[in-house]
Amino acid sequence: MANIAIDAIKEVTYDAIVIGSGISGGWAAKELTGKGLRTLVLERGRDVKHIVDYPTTVTNPWEFEHRGQLPLEIREQNPIVSKCYAFYEGTTHFFVKDAEHPYVQEKPFDWIRGYQVGGKSLLWARQTQRWSDFDFEGPARDGFAVDWPIRYADLAPWYSYVEKFAGISGNKDGLATLPDGEFLPPHEWNCVESYFQKQVAGHYKDRHVIMGRAAHITKPQPIHFQQGRAQCQHRTICERGCPYGGYFSSNASTIPWAAKTGKMTLRPNSVVHSIIYDEKKGKAVGVRVVDATTHKMMEFYARIIFVNAAALNTNLVLLNSTSSRFPNGLGNDSGVLGKYVAFHNYRARISGEYDGMLESTTDGRRPNSPYIPRFRNVYKQEMDFLRGYAAGFSAGRMSHTNQDGIGASLKANLVKPVLDGWYVGSHMMGETIPKESNFVALDSNLKDPFGIPQLRISVGYDDNDDKMVKDYIEQMTEMFTIAGFKNIKATDSKQAAGLDIHEMGGVRMGKDPKTSILNKWNQMHACKNVFVTDGACMTSTSTQNPSLTYMAMTARAADYAVKEMKKGTL
Amino acid sequence: MKRRAALKNVAVAFGGLVSLPAWAENWNERSVSLSSSYFSPKESVLLAEVAETIIPVTDTPGAKELGVHNFIQKIVADCMDKKNQEFFSSGLAAVDTAAQKKFTKSFASCDTGQRISVLNEMEASPDQKGFYSMVKGLTIRGYLTSEYVMTNLTHYEMVPGHYYGCVPVSPKK
Repeated sequence: MANIAIDAIKEVTYDAIVIGSGISGGWAAKELTGKGLRTLVLERGRDVKHIVDYPTTVTNPWEFEHRGQLPLEIREQNPIVSKCYAFYEGTTHFFVKDAEHPYVQEKPFDWIRGYQVGGKSLLWARQTQRWSDFDFEGPARDGFAVDWPIRYADLAPWYSYVEKFAGISGNKDGLATLPDGEFLPPHEWNCVESYFQKQVAGHYKDRHVIMGRAAHITKPQPIHFQQGRAQCQHRTICERGCPYGGYFSSNASTIPWAAKTGKMTLRPNSVVHSIIYDEKKGKAVGVRVVDATTHKMMEFYARIIFVNAAALNTNLVLLNSTSSRFPNGLGNDSGVLGKYVAFHNYRARISGEYDGMLESTTDGRRPNSPYIPRFRNVYKQEMDFLRGYAAGFSAGRMSHTNQDGIGASLKANLVKPVLDGWYVGSHMMGETIPKESNFVALDSNLKDPFGIPQLRISVGYDDNDDKMVKDYIEQMTEMFTIAGFKNIKATDSKQAAGLDIHEMGGVRMGKDPKTSILNKWNQMHACKNVFVTDGACMTSTSTQNPSLTYMAMTARAADYAVKEMKKGTL
Repeated sequence: MKRRAALKNVAVAFGGLVSLPAWAENWNERSVSLSSSYFSPKESVLLAEVAETIIPVTDTPGAKELGVHNFIQKIVADCMDKKNQEFFSSGLAAVDTAAQKKFTKSFASCDTGQRISVLNEMEASPDQKGFYSMVKGLTIRGYLTSEYVMTNLTHYEMVPGHYYGCVPVSPKK
């Protein structure tokens, strides 16, 4: 009998467990299996296999039942996810519907989620900029949150490591604010974008317009062919899944790579309830999982656990992992777990027109656009708000058709598009300041369909964000005016926090266990065999799209964890 | 290009290593068929004739042949709220009423000139121009997003394979 019990436990025991298979979980799976660890990857959603589970990847526009438009019933049942720009008839299957995982909005918060193998890595906007020391030094210099326990030098080699594998296109711009990486060739500029770049460079010493660095394979290297990935074909319907693996996703890249080692067990439909803490051993020993199909609770065991459930769900899992030692959530001696959540301020955008260069246009499509790195408060505090914003920028030409009249003349006109002049547009990506009052917590009564407490989200803007919106609009208006753009229109959408899909923090890194949860290795101060390397670990948000930093941190933490295991300290 | 053919090209791009998934087997341009019967057969015929009047057959197919009325029916049935659905239905009924009043016959029995005159009067009427602009907008959208137009006339490219930032405007554009 005893032997049977031991065998049964052995069957559910691994060297490592990774919670989540999105952009950071996929990297944890790849790194840990690559270093020989038998790794269980738990994914709460269904399996999505590369190519075969992308049902709309080659669907033509006319083949969609409503030609792309969402039926009213879907919009009415899903007021939250329907706000997401990427949620349409071709992508509904990759998004969490509102009723699937309810939560409480103490302040308006649009929580956009993708529960499937690959998570939101199928859906992301693929912008990949490195952080610099201007970002890592921010909280200490400006006196908010806590000092980051790492600097650029700690992460730089890991940025290189993940960039080479993922495939990042970009130009070596030599900017101190946005370090260069291991780049495949950059995407092309169009005439008006180049013109704007020169105008900005001519008027401002500290403002730069560069081509966005993006996770698209513009020139495949052997490492990409080894993954079965090919060159980006500029379809720009990435969010439906790419049959070429032209952009980076867990599904196209890290998950199949981990599977090839023979060391990975991927378990979809596994909703993690909590992490099991062993009071005697003084460490985590496994995880409790609700099987999404049977609703049965199961346990799995491992020596180390990587939590990559996506920022707010990582908070949820840790808050729900209570024990005598940690009554307020795993690793939460400091009481800061769930607090200091921040995000990116995407509220403002600006548009205009340019009436020059009418002899030129563009051909084809580009899954990327130019980027303006942060220029406010970089070298010193100079504005009446903290930190700053980066901006996306793009130009292009659209066409219109004459739709007057009726009958044969209308019909003939409809297929004779008339090329318009150039439009220009930009949107802001502002840093928000992590505050104790921006937090998530477990609701004491409400449960989700799996019996797990619902998350209460209390995260919103403040005065600093309003000032930044105002400054972005003023500065971009000035830059557009200098470039001679006309009909300039700026808007503040006042969109709720969360719709940026860059929620971060709650399980922050820091030097002091009294004020942070994780150390410089993304390792829990108080529970050394648990690592958190998704957005939850972020001490501050800066302005860069965060996924590349999660990838680099994950690879670095996995390397550290395995070395420590070999030393016998874990 | 049919979807299976498109997928085959994808497979070729990979050196033919990719086997086609099961869901690619049953694809063809008719797989998206009309399941809804939101409008009565009579309304359906009327809608088809209205759409055909807006975009008629010439040396290329018109709205009716391209099934634009089926697309409109789908949108009205599935994507509009009740208020707009009722607005659309009563607008459609008003087309026949106007034809009866003006020409003492149904809209479908009117000749092209008579039909256009009915719709032009609706466009000019403060009470009815809302419906007319709705049905015209949907007809144009259904036409421009039809397989025939996108493949033969506007040449939709699913896989451009490139982005050139600065090219001269070609005379045909």
